[in-house]
Amino acid sequence: MTLNLTRRIFAAASLSAALLASTALLAETPKQGGILVYLEQQPHTVLYPPAGGFYPNGGILNQITDKLTYQNPETLEIEPWIAESWEVNEDATQYAFKLRPGVTFSDGSPLDAAAVVANFDAFGLGDQARNFPVSEVVNNYERGEVLDPLTVRFHFKAPSPGFLQGTSVIGSGLVSLATLGRNYAELGDARLIIGSGPFLVKSQTTGSEVVLSVREDYAWGPKLHPHQGRAPLDGIRYVITPEDGVRIGALLSGQADFVRQIQAYDEKQVTDRGYALYAPSTRGVNNSVVFRPDNPLVADIRVRQALLHATDAKEIVETLFSANYPVATSIIAANAQGYVDLSDKLTYDPELADKLLTEAGWIVGASGLREKDGAVLEFTAYESPPQPQNRATLQLVAQQWGRLGVKLNVLAGDSGSRTQDNLDPEKTPVSPAMVGRADPDVIKSQYHPTNRNVLLQLGGVAEKVKSFRDDRLNGLLEAVAAETDPAKRLALTAEVQNYVIDQAYAIPIFEEPQVFGGAPYLKGVGFEAVGRPSFYGAWLDR
Amino acid sequence: MTDILRSFPSAASARLAPPRFGWSRRPPLGLLLAWAVLLVAAAWAVAPEIFTSQSGVVGIPSEKLQAPSAAHWLGTDELGRDLLARIIHGARYSLSGAFLAVGVGLVFGAAIGLTAGSVGGRVEAILMRIVDVMLAIPSLLLALSLIIILGFGHAQAAIAVGVTSIASFARLVRSEVVTVRRSDYVEAAFGSGGRFLQVIWRHVLPNSLTTVLAYAALQLGWAILQISTLGFLGYGAPPPTPEWGLLIAEGRKYMMAAWWLTAFPGLVVILVVLAANRVGRAAERATR
Amino acid sequence: MTRRLLERLGQALLVLWAAFTIAFVLLQLMPGDAVLIKFVGGDLGLSPEAVAEIRAFYGADAPAWRRYLDALAGVVTGDFGYSIASGVPVAEEIRTNLPATLWLAGLAFALAVGLALLVAFLATLGPFAWLRGAFQALPGLMVSIPVFWLGVLLIQIFSFKLGWVSVIAPGPWERLVLPVIAISIPIAAPLAQILIRNLDAVSTAPFVHVARAKGASRRWVMLRHVLRNALLPALTIAGVLFGELLAGAVVTETVFGLNGIGRLAEQAVRAQDAAVLQAVVLIAAFGFVAINLIVDLLYPLFDPRLRRGGRAPA
Repeated sequence: MTLNLTRRIFAAASLSAALLASTALLAETPKQGGILVYLEQQPHTVLYPPAGGFYPNGGILNQITDKLTYQNPETLEIEPWIAESWEVNEDATQYAFKLRPGVTFSDGSPLDAAAVVANFDAFGLGDQARNFPVSEVVNNYERGEVLDPLTVRFHFKAPSPGFLQGTSVIGSGLVSLATLGRNYAELGDARLIIGSGPFLVKSQTTGSEVVLSVREDYAWGPKLHPHQGRAPLDGIRYVITPEDGVRIGALLSGQADFVRQIQAYDEKQVTDRGYALYAPSTRGVNNSVVFRPDNPLVADIRVRQALLHATDAKEIVETLFSANYPVATSIIAANAQGYVDLSDKLTYDPELADKLLTEAGWIVGASGLREKDGAVLEFTAYESPPQPQNRATLQLVAQQWGRLGVKLNVLAGDSGSRTQDNLDPEKTPVSPAMVGRADPDVIKSQYHPTNRNVLLQLGGVAEKVKSFRDDRLNGLLEAVAAETDPAKRLALTAEVQNYVIDQAYAIPIFEEPQVFGGAPYLKGVGFEAVGRPSFYGAWLDR
Repeated sequence: MTDILRSFPSAASARLAPPRFGWSRRPPLGLLLAWAVLLVAAAWAVAPEIFTSQSGVVGIPSEKLQAPSAAHWLGTDELGRDLLARIIHGARYSLSGAFLAVGVGLVFGAAIGLTAGSVGGRVEAILMRIVDVMLAIPSLLLALSLIIILGFGHAQAAIAVGVTSIASFARLVRSEVVTVRRSDYVEAAFGSGGRFLQVIWRHVLPNSLTTVLAYAALQLGWAILQISTLGFLGYGAPPPTPEWGLLIAEGRKYMMAAWWLTAFPGLVVILVVLAANRVGRAAERATR
Repeated sequence: MTRRLLERLGQALLVLWAAFTIAFVLLQLMPGDAVLIKFVGGDLGLSPEAVAEIRAFYGADAPAWRRYLDALAGVVTGDFGYSIASGVPVAEEIRTNLPATLWLAGLAFALAVGLALLVAFLATLGPFAWLRGAFQALPGLMVSIPVFWLGVLLIQIFSFKLGWVSVIAPGPWERLVLPVIAISIPIAAPLAQILIRNLDAVSTAPFVHVARAKGASRRWVMLRHVLRNALLPALTIAGVLFGELLAGAVVTETVFGLNGIGRLAEQAVRAQDAAVLQAVVLIAAFGFVAINLIVDLLYPLFDPRLRRGGRAPA
């Protein structure tokens, strides 16, 4: 027994020694060459950079475009990239950037001040003629100004403190004038996206494959990035593999090098076989179930609070997920900026839930469901396929609510009905929701009626909303977006979190990571602040 | 698939070959087994509670993804639901879906085929062209489109599958009706002053029906497969319905972690379809 | 003969037009449309005005009759329009996807014929009674296996466990192996069934006895006979098999993540990508009609009994 134990300890020690040795080695000599095979769950939709929020889009855009600034994923500091330096005025209404010389797009055109201004004019103002929407990350934008070929200044109508960080995200990737000259509807074709990044699009087979090849002359990576110069890989082959089982199987049988969306139940197999599991946090809004209070069933705050306390997030995480999916303790992730711990308000308490529902007049009827004035407390929600195990999550929520006599029907539904019904609070009083972005503005992106409008307030895309509008919430969200003093900004962010939970607009469930699996011989993969991979420094050790 | 098996024999094999073996003396073992399988499946559908004490919808989260064991013969799924219980409860959805699908195909197909075959002339030409068009549209795409229009649900999926089989039923019924109509006694019935509809109802329909019903029996297996294919593609019954196709569809995600979730529902589908086909073929032979 | 051919061609065109029209009508009946699904459902944060602009850009804001006539006119002049879901011309989508599916279906059909012959021979001429019995029952089993289930199992066993074939490999051939097997098995079943019946019937036929009397072995006689006639049953059900191959392609291309018309079609239904779906339906209907036309014309050449009567089967 003792012998056995010693041997095991020795084995463990030698293993970690080997690991140390290999990490030391990789820091020195990345091998050049090889095509990385990347299995992606869904095809990209639109590769206009502000649409990079969608993970399949971001996974490609992050390799083919550069940004003005680089957000260090560990320190979250903003570092130089295409911009060598910058200045911000006192009230954050003017930003000036000094650009790095000699940067070109892959079509040969220069990445100069004019190109940068054209990009941010499009991102900040949108373009009616080309159907470009306004970027979620650029607030209060007025205009850009070319001071000299390598200097730009941006003017804002009102303070825009989030802009500097906004220049570092995938949604602010810089593209050539040729790409900006296209119509939004054409930009599903990856070959039309001309960036200045370490890779360029070589070919695409619509809906199934995108091939990138390295830019030999690339010499303008982020200034403080451990790797400099040309990317070690010769190229990246994205193969769209919607089947979860095929992605994981292909990785573990050596047919692929890197795969996105490893489900929690497969994590153990990945680590057991010595494969690498990457689970960068998305630092954004937690995976939640949100209410649409325009629907009379959930207009009563007591009903929403009851359902919040009827939801056992811990059971969901323990049943379906892993340590990479922490139980939510607020509406945003614990490592998101401005997070406050609200776990006291998010308790699982079926007795309280029962009490609240009874107070609200919902009594368990003959059918076993709660009824009031002839109405039944029954909800419908569509599953959201891109979210991890969303169908199973919702079914478990339905089981938990079912114990209190509340029925939740989970629909798969076709995309058309799902889209239409998700805009109609009558049809979908509850809905799953999630967004990932590393800035306090994430909450605004999620809840403000002019952005994603998950609560379906009046004044957004949803035209069927009758009256619901929470001006207090919207005021807070706008204040967060406009506040320049960092301390006040964080205080406001805390206030929003408290408000959303006090109103029980959302039931946060877990903090959503992006879980990737990588082959043991794949080294140097990086992730930006919200969990999209960067292959600039990646190389294959084989 | 049995669509093929049947559509060819009705067209040509009757001319090419006599039935392979008659079993007038005693039914072969295979057929008895097939009946047994179908009876068990039917019993599951009618009274699942007798066969399992566990719920098909609500699980015990702490017992998730367990391999087959004494407590859970076929293992458990991601929410700790007993797979055997889900299969047993699912029989109701899968079998009723198959019957509904075949019913839709039979009723509408027979209506078209009977009208075409007995009225003849221009009506027949137009109806049969419509049938041609229905055959020319890929049936799976037609079914998918219909489900999107009708909405997602296990009955909707069954109806969509039924609609895609109308054309083959219509063709079969028409050819049977034409054959029967040309037979001497129907000619005689018309000749002795029988009213048109009356003759059709009394003589043509019953005489065509036996073959058509045998075909319908064969279609049952096909319908189960089609409905489960729709479930697999994500167009089937909404969760947590334990419909068999949906079980395979959901289970395949867990293939690496829990092979039983894919393997067992698949085997059950194969067994039941095999049995339905075996019984259907016996019925078909008996009508010849 | 020429007149009959012209008549058949006219009917074929009518069927194509009707199929196209039905596809259009079905798309109209679906909830929402492609623009809504992609640009609102995609969570891109577009304003209602921007979505309306995009709809106008694609001409999707015109009344239905107008869009129908435009689409029809386009098809007649060979212009299949633009895919909203992927943002590329439909013709390009078809060009990249059609060859893959034709290979998949063609190889699967060839393998199915081979499998059917093998099963039929072993079922009728195999060495032991129990073996023959087993092979006689085999087609019934083959037709009962769900293609998607078989596909999932084949991948797990032959690609992931044994590592014999890659499902991600670049280039088409290696990735085709497993899907071709998966589709061919249910397709082979009805062919095998027909061949078995055919062989059973032939074994008692007079010419076999005559040939045997002349000293030829029974197996040799039947082998020659069946090989000569193997094409006939395959031809008869070619139209139906075509539909099955297409359905098989939808399923296997999804399971194996292959390019092809099948997956394209399924995605087009999902995204309500009208132009793509109409084009696929048209191509499939064309295939079906063409195959039936060819079979009708060829059938008498293969079946001596029909040479006299001249009436092709329905």
